Amino acid sequence: MYQLLRKLAHWIDARAGVSATLWPMMRHPVPRSIDGPMGWWYVFGSASMTFLLIQILTGIGLSMVYVPAADQAYESLLYLDYQQPWGWFLRSLHYYAGSGMVVMLLVHMTQVFLQGSYKYPRELTWVVGVLLLACTMGMFFTGQILRWDTDAYWGLAVGASMAGRVPVLGPEIVHTLLGGDIIGASSLSRFFALHVFIIPGALLTFLGIHLWLVLRCGISAPPKPGEIVDPKTYDATYHEELKRGVPFFGDALLKDIFFSALAVTIVVVIAAVVGPKGPTEPPDPTLAGANPRPEWPFLWLFGLLSLSPPAIETFIMLVFPVLVLGALFFVPFVSNRGERAPSRRPAAVLLVIVIYTTLGVLTYEGVQAPWSPVMDAWSGDPVPVNLVEGRTPLELQGAAVFQFKNCRNCHALEGIGGRRGPDLTTIGASLTRDQLITQISNGTPGGGNMPAYGKQMSPAEMEATVAFLISLRPDGQLPAGAVEDAPVEGTTPQPVELTE
Amino acid sequence: MNAPLPSSGKQLCPGGKPPRRAFFRLLTGALGAAATGLLTLPMLGYFFGRRHRPAMWVPMGDLSDFPLNETRTINFDNPLRQPWDGMTSMTGVHVRYQGKNDAGDEQFLVLAANCAHLGCPVSWFPQSGLFMCPCHGGVYYENGERASGPPPRGLFHCVWRVKEGKLEIEAPHYPTLHDTLTESLES
Amino acid sequence: MVACAAFVGCNDDFPGKPNPADRPLPQNEITDFATLFAQNCTGCHGADGELGPAPPLNDPLFLALIPDETLHAVIRDGRPGTPMPAFAAERGGTLSTEQVKIIAAGLKSHWPADKTEEVSDAAIVADAPPYLSSATILQLTPGATDQASTLFERACAECHSPNGAGGETGYASGGAINDRAFLALISDQALRRIIITGRHDLGMPNYAAPDGRPEDFKPLTSAEIDELVALLASWRRGDAAAGDAGK
Ligand code: FES
Repeated sequence: MYQLLRKLAHWIDARAGVSATLWPMMRHPVPRSIDGPMGWWYVFGSASMTFLLIQILTGIGLSMVYVPAADQAYESLLYLDYQQPWGWFLRSLHYYAGSGMVVMLLVHMTQVFLQGSYKYPRELTWVVGVLLLACTMGMFFTGQILRWDTDAYWGLAVGASMAGRVPVLGPEIVHTLLGGDIIGASSLSRFFALHVFIIPGALLTFLGIHLWLVLRCGISAPPKPGEIVDPKTYDATYHEELKRGVPFFGDALLKDIFFSALAVTIVVVIAAVVGPKGPTEPPDPTLAGANPRPEWPFLWLFGLLSLSPPAIETFIMLVFPVLVLGALFFVPFVSNRGERAPSRRPAAVLLVIVIYTTLGVLTYEGVQAPWSPVMDAWSGDPVPVNLVEGRTPLELQGAAVFQFKNCRNCHALEGIGGRRGPDLTTIGASLTRDQLITQISNGTPGGGNMPAYGKQMSPAEMEATVAFLISLRPDGQLPAGAVEDAPVEGTTPQPVELTE
Repeated sequence: MNAPLPSSGKQLCPGGKPPRRAFFRLLTGALGAAATGLLTLPMLGYFFGRRHRPAMWVPMGDLSDFPLNETRTINFDNPLRQPWDGMTSMTGVHVRYQGKNDAGDEQFLVLAANCAHLGCPVSWFPQSGLFMCPCHGGVYYENGERASGPPPRGLFHCVWRVKEGKLEIEAPHYPTLHDTLTESLES
Repeated sequence: MVACAAFVGCNDDFPGKPNPADRPLPQNEITDFATLFAQNCTGCHGADGELGPAPPLNDPLFLALIPDETLHAVIRDGRPGTPMPAFAAERGGTLSTEQVKIIAAGLKSHWPADKTEEVSDAAIVADAPPYLSSATILQLTPGATDQASTLFERACAECHSPNGAGGETGYASGGAINDRAFLALISDQALRRIIITGRHDLGMPNYAAPDGRPEDFKPLTSAEIDELVALLASWRRGDAAAGDAGK
């Protein structure tokens, strides 16, 4: 039997020339130091590829059950989650392996940047790598849309609205993106095509080019301080180095395999323990209580958009992403020579730190989303009990009006409620009665964050609300603007003694 | 013309390419271009073309369903849908009856539910007379004007008419900043 | 091999396996009373239906007295002019007809009965004046004003001071109830309800409790409560005579 198989293999190889071409590729020499501990820096690219492989496998699996039609997609997701054996696990794994792929790509890219591996002659490898990152982000966005729930619907709406801001061509772009006049079946089908055919096609093509370039230019040696990259001499030096090199198909590959296996194990465990993401509520745009949030790789953009002043918003939506991509493309052309060791490139290290800190802060803000009103705070977040006890009937009524007029959606009391406006737990100590009335009636001057409530409240409602707000101050503290011993407006809160 | 045939095969065409071969190149180029065009144009039409349909009117309800100066949210199935849109084609608008104008015509305000900022669904809060957006905190007054937050303009107005005692609106497409719902009226 | 096959076949019970019961429900399909109550009522009526700015719902006396239709109607239509909004979608609210019904029905059965003994005993419930007043119009004749003021002095003045301007003790020290803004934001029916039930969560006695009231205080009758409400209503209108009430 074994003999037969061997014969068959030889027969095929003699005609296809597999071993003649592939074997040298696998055995291509890599710098000797990669065989040492420094080699652990080189495992992230292959880990991304392993995740990509999982994505392809799970993706094909999911496509056998998922229905990319607007009226059935949601149901097929529920079927995957609750009926199909292991369906939930495939969905879960597809999500977490995708996330892992983004993480690994970022780490890989950071490593390449920090160790200067993008310099001569590997500029093109970097450029193609940037394209791979763009494709992966595209996969993440389109994948979220395929999870056809409320978040997907509104994520698509926000994406379309951004595209709609393009001057002149905006409406055409939106129409093309949505495949029609409204968000619906064609939109989903388009994103299905993007997610399953178009972007993966591009991704695999770029990946092929990337790998070819890696083979052709060789794997860069770990940087040594003082070792200068000079395009004139680099090739000869590198060639010398490879003569002392070790074959890739050996211990170097072993590290890759070890790390990939570890990463896969972690992702599988996460997928099994945490379970699939969503789907949330069905994609009915008339459902109340929608609260759309982007997927995690885009939270920083959500944060950036929400925090930027409206005047430059369109710029950030349309031009900024192009600039970021352009900047990434240009990295190897700005500096393709010189030092590679991070210890000799403080500017590069600083840049990485600054970028990741910014991304981290923006992502945190995106998670918190303090700019979003809490839509049901007015009816669902109780007024803290100690802000109720000891209040006069008027103040109590004011608290009820405060809730009723949806103030709570933007203003927290004792940290609970919206955070778009300031927490008002101690507002009585800082604003006087007149200031409060002005603020409530006129809102933030110039159309800022607070709407003008002047026309939205009756005099009695205003009176009661202001009385309540004045009563909100730390124990024993006088209202803002009041002088000691002067007659005090409102009352000082006192703990109520139950008479029973 | 009378020159003897060259002995070497390479010298078949002294003094340039024979016209036959040049013509064939030209022909191949032209045919290739034509084939590409024939292939591309319908493809472009398929991907970027628009389906033109006459305006469609959706009934919102009897006039008596709308009390004076109160806002009602009406949900309907958008006729711009495709048959397999499912619940996705459900659309909500906010309707406010504003009484009669001097000429005695009924006046309505019909606002799209999509925030003018980035399209998120605004909710109507009758208590405070405000629309609030859950995404980035845009707020609008009851008349649809921008009250605060990032939206660059007020809510989008739908085109409406009163026909046989019923309020109808023109089926709204997905409105964006440069593609509002009242374009046809303004131009 | 067999183990593998078994594994593939059925056993996918990992912690991550989603449970159909946890599926996020669209807002209009929620039928669980506790969820609906938490989302829609607690903002004003308190986390457990008490200790909120609005009158407590977790109040056996109140729940025993209010007729089912009234409870349902108030949730559906709100109390116009006061901070009680209409919740029914057809009145501009957010809840379906079904959901309004669930809240109205759920209120009466949600809080366990043993609280009844704690707060007020069965006799108090049994003898209580009806939730709705039988009088159609509450109007005070000049003579009746004096009578109402006397009644107010006996029943309310201990805490709210004789002219309703607020006192030193009890529920809301300095609890002025002659404030026109306050009165403008509360309906006559709500006033009647609070006089009957008190606010057990904030220490205000009910119609029968003797706390802080004269020795010979007798539980208030329905007609007496009408009078008190009429007196408060006259303060709301700012009637000249009533403004000086009790001075
Ligand atoms: S989409 Fe409404 S504020 Fe941004």
